[in-house]
Amino acid sequence: MLPLPTFSVLSPRAVSDAAQMLTDHPQARLIAGGTDLLPSMKYGLFTPPTLIRLGGVSALQEISVTEAGGLRIGAGVTLRAVGRDVRVLSLYPALAAATRTIATSTIQAMGTLGGNLMLDTRCAWYNQSTFWRGALGGCLKCHSAPEGAICHVAPKGKGCYAAHSADTAPGLLLYDAEVELVSTRGARRVAVAALYGDDGRDWIRRAPDELLTAVILPPPPAGRVVHRKLRARGSIDYPLLLTAAAFDPDRGPRVVVSSVGPRPVELGGVAEAWEAGGVEAVAEAAYKQVSPLSTHVWPAPWRKKMVRVEVRRALEAAISGV
Amino acid sequence: MSEPDSPVGRRGGKIDGLPKITGAARFTDDLTLPGMLHGAFNRSPHAHARILSIDVSAALALPGVYAVLTGADLPTPYGVIPVAQDEHALAVGKVLFIGDEVAAVAAVDQETARRAAALIRVEYEPLEGVFTIEDALNPDKPLLHDERRRKGDTNVLRRVFQKYGDPAAGFAEADVIIESNYDYPGSTHVPLETQVALAQPHPDGKLTLWSSTQIPHYLHRIVSKVLGMREQDVRVIKPDVGAGYGGKSDPFANELCAAALARKTGRPVKFILDREEVFYAHRGRHPTRMTLKMGVTNDGRITAADFKAWAAGGAYASYGVVTAYYFGVFLPLPYKLDHWQFESHRCYTNHPPCGPKRGHGAIQPRFALELHLDKLANAIGMSPDALRLKNCVEPDTETSNGLRITSVALKECVDKVLAASGYLEKRGKLGPNRGIGLATSAYMCGALHPIVQSEMPQSAVQICADRSGRVSILSGTADIGQGSNHMLAAIVAGRLGIPETDCVVLEADTGLTPVDLGSYSSRVTFFAGNAAKMAADQLYAVMRAAAAEKLGGEDVVMLGGKVFRESAPEKALDFAEAVQLAEERHGTLGFVGHYKPPKIGNRFRRQSVGPSPAYSFTAQVAEVVVDPETGFVTVERIWAAHDCGKALNPTIVEGQIEGCVYMGVGEALAEEQSYTKHGLHRAPSILEYKIPTVFETPEIITIIVESNDKEGPFGAKEAGEGPQLSTVPAIANAIFDACGVWMNEAPFTPDRVLKAIERRDREARRASFDGA
Ligand SMILES: Cc1cc2nc3c(=O)[nH]c(=O)nc-3n(C[C@H](O)[C@H](O)[C@H](O)COP(=O)(O)OP(=O)(O)OC[C@H]3O[C@@H](n4cnc5c(N)ncnc54)[C@H](O)[C@@H]3O)c2cc1C
Ligand code: SF4
Repeated sequence: MLPLPTFSVLSPRAVSDAAQMLTDHPQARLIAGGTDLLPSMKYGLFTPPTLIRLGGVSALQEISVTEAGGLRIGAGVTLRAVGRDVRVLSLYPALAAATRTIATSTIQAMGTLGGNLMLDTRCAWYNQSTFWRGALGGCLKCHSAPEGAICHVAPKGKGCYAAHSADTAPGLLLYDAEVELVSTRGARRVAVAALYGDDGRDWIRRAPDELLTAVILPPPPAGRVVHRKLRARGSIDYPLLLTAAAFDPDRGPRVVVSSVGPRPVELGGVAEAWEAGGVEAVAEAAYKQVSPLSTHVWPAPWRKKMVRVEVRRALEAAISGV
Repeated sequence: MSEPDSPVGRRGGKIDGLPKITGAARFTDDLTLPGMLHGAFNRSPHAHARILSIDVSAALALPGVYAVLTGADLPTPYGVIPVAQDEHALAVGKVLFIGDEVAAVAAVDQETARRAAALIRVEYEPLEGVFTIEDALNPDKPLLHDERRRKGDTNVLRRVFQKYGDPAAGFAEADVIIESNYDYPGSTHVPLETQVALAQPHPDGKLTLWSSTQIPHYLHRIVSKVLGMREQDVRVIKPDVGAGYGGKSDPFANELCAAALARKTGRPVKFILDREEVFYAHRGRHPTRMTLKMGVTNDGRITAADFKAWAAGGAYASYGVVTAYYFGVFLPLPYKLDHWQFESHRCYTNHPPCGPKRGHGAIQPRFALELHLDKLANAIGMSPDALRLKNCVEPDTETSNGLRITSVALKECVDKVLAASGYLEKRGKLGPNRGIGLATSAYMCGALHPIVQSEMPQSAVQICADRSGRVSILSGTADIGQGSNHMLAAIVAGRLGIPETDCVVLEADTGLTPVDLGSYSSRVTFFAGNAAKMAADQLYAVMRAAAAEKLGGEDVVMLGGKVFRESAPEKALDFAEAVQLAEERHGTLGFVGHYKPPKIGNRFRRQSVGPSPAYSFTAQVAEVVVDPETGFVTVERIWAAHDCGKALNPTIVEGQIEGCVYMGVGEALAEEQSYTKHGLHRAPSILEYKIPTVFETPEIITIIVESNDKEGPFGAKEAGEGPQLSTVPAIANAIFDACGVWMNEAPFTPDRVLKAIERRDREARRASFDGA
């Protein structure tokens, strides 16, 4: 087993305490279930001196119905609890489905919804041990990379394309979900659609002193949202491609594709394609727009072909569910 | 002698199963000694480089560090195969792959040891890497092992060419000849337990080494050699081991360095590899490129074969010389083939070293040949099962390359899998994208000739009957989870008519147990089982004689823990009473048995690798579903019939068959040691190296077939490796049945399958265009 580096732990009880600690300890990292953070620390991707443990903040563990008739899900609610909640199951089945495709059932019991939305971007050249990255010569995402390190996915580029791999994000985007971010400066809301940026090193539009407290879902849309995940095996694996499709009989389809770059992408031109040629045309439009890169061990050209297949299958399922 | 209430042939758990389930079993990492230090390696970040200098001062200066070793401290080269002594515990002069061990540290705890290892400064001069078979065959590329330098030398460790009969004449007889290229990937073992060693120095200069090895005997010899110690001063003990599959057959740097560091510091040293390091220690399946040309007559007689194989074997030889022979020797089996030849090359490349993995050297040619047979069957319009049965070897014959064949129940295996799976009714009729495939195979039951030439026994067992009625069994065998302890107990108890739980097995301790050559080449049941039987036979004779005298008649039987006359079963002695009677007459009851395989004459003197005292046979049918849009293959069900000779414990045999199928499914679907162009392992973790989860594991229907081999203990042969040989080609043949594409390259990843389907469609379009 790989040893963890040493660190100290702070255990706030209230959101305000946690926010204060974040302000006071700029080097600290938040830890919820730890299922992403701890493996990364064992690999030496970062070595925070302090962890702020959110497990004791009971306010983050609740699911409640909003005045608008949607749901507010605390950031600290486990994936298992989200996936089993009857309100989630009946109103947002694609979210429930997404929690069940993450990792394994044991990891779902530890991992949280907030941790999932804050999941680090992933790359086959980055999520490796200290020794491995040393032998490679590091890359742009490595904090400790030597001078002259390059991106192995796009060697001539200056950006990082590490893949957004959070299973719940594409579906939440189509449910028009927002997140609540809290700091000592106050609280604000950001749409999931606007939460992520285009560089795999700096992919979350969240200030360092902000804490994610809840996911807020408006009442569900008319029609059905479908979550699909392409992965190597039937369990444990991170996505090779994530697809979410929604179909509202009045407004037509919407499609989100993820795990192909640092953020989930809602496809453009879907309405036009739908008008012009139905499901096949939307799938074709997706194929043209989305170009997976060699951020995964499995080959990018095959993943590109899968964009067409997965979008078609997701959309067909969304339509047939109407 | 297999009575219904005898342990021989009885189902049930292993005698040492419960401790493993309850957590009471002690693996090497469970052992802790006072004052114990922990080891860690500094490894090479270069695939091929000269070491210019090593500076260990910063590591030594770190508080908590006790000692640092480099290659200069352990200069003696070693290797399991006598003609290939090309390894060092730590790199000497050069590093040959990314992950090669350069220096070793002993410190108070693992964290300190790792930190210190990272502080070691090594200056390298990078050399050009040798990464492909083309590179290895190219005389202009640098040699990995400088000492082999001769003019025109390449990085080929061993080339083997053998020819039998008259291949040209054989091809001339053929009505149909097909030639294809095949590619089989490198894969690794992924045992649950990583390699762990614990060494303890003794005040008198002796040393004890506990290790997760599957061959304590070779480890014993090589530790002594590398440390410059007398063999009688080194004691190697194998605690419980969490599997090996061939991956723990070589001596490893962590074992040698634990021993050397313990001697240097005077303290016990534990040295454990983490999961990533196991991918670098490797010794797994050789990635192999093959070409096979075969001819067949219209009525299905195989007339000739020409086979070529090139294996990119990684940085060291390991068992690679043997692999080069196995490639050819096991090509024809289980079929008769009179005219054929093979040429194989086992090469060095700058990758982690390959070695023996379950079905060593036989998996790759089997894959090629079993696909090829289906192609030939298609070409002549014969059912694949009929083609196979027509050419099947017969019992008590000799193959063209001089292998003595004794018991064969392949026909029964084929009949049973065909019936159970409905193969004949289903083939070609399951509709689009669902298919069924067959393959058969054979494997050895131990190598006839030991790796180190010797006329001494290859297995030995010592048994001792105690007055309490308990029988102790001492053996140098290495149970790594496959059940050899249970096998020994079942054989001894079966002979003596007592429950196997009344036996105590003490194994794999070179300070106490007689030599056994270890757990490889599926030899343990046949070799050590026969040794155990020989020891038990002697005890049986002595006890029976004593009982006959007491009971007043010769018709004595020992059964169900009782000793009695068949003609007067009511007057029975307890087994313990009978032991006491025998001890009074004979003295202390201790006996040894050994096994030396028979001297089987072989027309071909060069054939020292491959012959075995017996062979197991397997037939398998796979049913698969292919998603034609993604290329994903789902293996729904596998029927596996295996001729194991005699199932000493059917539960364990079934477990071995299931394990083989599982491993075969992994190699068929996704497992692959894949490297970047600089030789860096792309996925050294069990998250990214895709062994099957429960979702990819098919339903496995096992069928045991018993041919009762005349020389096997109670008729037993092997079950630990042979059943894996059929799995991958059965799946490939099922994919062809499902969607009409030949998967000549494994693993059958979605990407490859989809490309093959696209190629099929392009060709169909072209054909219809041409036809129009
Ligand atoms: C083997 C394995 C397979 C996996 N497969 C998948 C997969 O297929 N799909 C997938 O989506 N995930 C996968 N994961 C990742 C992980 O399990 C999930 O994403 C999980 O939801 C993370 O939640 P957590 O509570 O454990 O997060 P943590 O590990 O505790 O935190 C993750 C990150 O979020 C930050 N964070 C946590 N909570 C907050 C908060 N309230 N506010 C701000 N920042 C916060 C942390 O600082 C950290 O950077 C896998 C993990 C493993 C070990
Ligand atoms: S995309 Fe490039 S920079 Fe980003 S993690 Fe991968 S290799 Fe590194």
